[in-house]
Amino acid sequence: MNTTNTSSNKKSSSLQNYTLRYLIVALLVVVAVWAGLFYAVILDEVYDNIDDGLKNSKILIEREAYANPDVLNTPEFGINQFKITPLPKGSYDFSNKLISTFEFSEYDDEDQPIRILETVFNDAKGNPYKLTIRASMVEEDELLEDLLTALVSLYVMLVVSIALLNRFILRKVWKSFYQLLDKLKNYKLGTGKAFTAPESHVSEFEVLGHELEDLLHRSEAIYSSQKQFIENASHELQTPLAISLNKLELFAENSNLPNEQMMEIGKISDTLNRLVRLNKSLLLLSKIENRQYADEEPVNFNELITQLTDDFSDLAEFREIKIDVVQQGKLSFPMNKGLALTLVTNLLKNALVHNHAGGMVTITIIHNSLSVQNTGSNKPLDDEQVFDRFYRSSNNEQSTGLGLSIVWSIANSYKLAVKYSYTGIHTFTIQFPDKR
Amino acid sequence: MKILIVEDEQGLREVIRESLEKEKYLVETAHDYISGIDKIGSYDYDCVLIDIMLPNGSGLDLVRELKNLNKKEAVIIISAKDSVDDKVTGLDLGADDYLAKPFHLAELHARIKSAIRRKSHDGDSFITLGNIKLSPELRTVTVDNNYLTLNRKEFDLLYYFMINPNRLVNKTALAESVWGDYIDQADNLDFVYSQIKNLRKKLKDAAAEADIQAVYGMGYKITAP
Repeated sequence: MNTTNTSSNKKSSSLQNYTLRYLIVALLVVVAVWAGLFYAVILDEVYDNIDDGLKNSKILIEREAYANPDVLNTPEFGINQFKITPLPKGSYDFSNKLISTFEFSEYDDEDQPIRILETVFNDAKGNPYKLTIRASMVEEDELLEDLLTALVSLYVMLVVSIALLNRFILRKVWKSFYQLLDKLKNYKLGTGKAFTAPESHVSEFEVLGHELEDLLHRSEAIYSSQKQFIENASHELQTPLAISLNKLELFAENSNLPNEQMMEIGKISDTLNRLVRLNKSLLLLSKIENRQYADEEPVNFNELITQLTDDFSDLAEFREIKIDVVQQGKLSFPMNKGLALTLVTNLLKNALVHNHAGGMVTITIIHNSLSVQNTGSNKPLDDEQVFDRFYRSSNNEQSTGLGLSIVWSIANSYKLAVKYSYTGIHTFTIQFPDKR
Repeated sequence: MKILIVEDEQGLREVIRESLEKEKYLVETAHDYISGIDKIGSYDYDCVLIDIMLPNGSGLDLVRELKNLNKKEAVIIISAKDSVDDKVTGLDLGADDYLAKPFHLAELHARIKSAIRRKSHDGDSFITLGNIKLSPELRTVTVDNNYLTLNRKEFDLLYYFMINPNRLVNKTALAESVWGDYIDQADNLDFVYSQIKNLRKKLKDAAAEADIQAVYGMGYKITAP
């Protein structure tokens, strides 16, 4: 009866989107770190290359300057990519100094990165000179830019292809899982339809499917054995009940007992009759649940209710309760005639029994609903429990406490909604489908 | 009138036999399928009561056998299994009635009598008690040949009493038979009582020779001198 569903409130995404979201973030980090390292290594290699070139030029220039002192007379960068400045005598650091800087380029009309090597050397006569060699890094810079572009596009390509692969592979891999989910959603315990897991090429899903099959099979077996137990127990009780009841009847008839003792026997007989009713109701409930009332025919509820209110008129009159039937529409629904009769009877009986002298019962028939209203106790019933088995609002000993659960059970077996509401009077409504 | 009871539960068999013998029936019993077949094949009865679940066979096969033998017995199935299928099958096989256990003895008498009456088309379809004559078909009652006007429920009550003359009729059996199974609440004894009071008054006013008496706690009894 309770249909609680808490999981659907929480927002959840599909397996595909879920994994993809994490993959994209992870890839972004991995590719970024990898790109940074790659960039640093390449940059280092590029500088190393240029610096090697510069150092090589230095050796060549120094050697040339040694052999040909004219070279020493190169105070400015001309077409040569070096200049030599004489230094006053003194002691100098002869090591190489490598600097990255910018210089205005006429061709590009903007500053371009260059690499400069500064060093000091002595000529053949031992005079110190400062040698400055430069090398353009324009191409190398572009190389790095290209590299960065390549890395970014690699990242995008990776993400797109992984997303596509993910989509394709996941769909393929999880296909049987989704089939299993679909089957599980449509599965209902006690309908008599066995659950069969779909075939899967993934062994884990195959195992999951088999385990589910086994689990549901066991549940089904327990469920039906429980139902069967109630039915069998009720059946088995019939004969001993019949014997006790009939023996008591014969005994009461055969013996000339004083009235007081006859009264006592009468009470035992009443109790036995109550047991018989209880047993019959339980049997009826399990039969409804075991769907043993298969044959259906269109039931005209207007006719049925007219007939039943007539049957109940004696009892209603005796209890001084007025029964009103309001027919606002024609209600017809295909169901088992006996069950339809039981359904309306139980509703009517409930309305009459839990009522008071001078009270009233109003039955309203609309084209798609049937409602029974009755005066009664001033307190609303517990609408969570009112249809539960053996729920009793009053201490009426003779009530089996099963009438309304029979109503619920019948309605449920035809997928009809039953509602209870209290607005000063008690209302039970059965909602039928709009059109058939 | 001869009746055969085919029932495996000894307690129930005995209590039915005792009750029917009080009605002056000749009663024979069988405790299983085989002894049932034996009796059916060897003797003729007016009515056969058959339980469906029997040791070494089904009561439904006994019904089938009876029809194969072209027997004219009235057949009433008594079963603990109040299943729609069994009822339909039983009636289709030619059973005259189906009574679910547990039942009241008064109800069983009523069913037996009406089954036998329907089988034997020998004219007199009236039930008489003292100077009361009741026709179940025409739904009329006469007292000393004067028509007595009864409403539907009063007629049903009187019919039930007259079919169980001088027998204790359990008030629950009475209520269930006349108003249907759904009359099963505590106050129905008062309710039934008020209906019987009206009927008694009408019978008395018509100078009927039968009277309905209350049996403390249990129910009622119609007695005729």
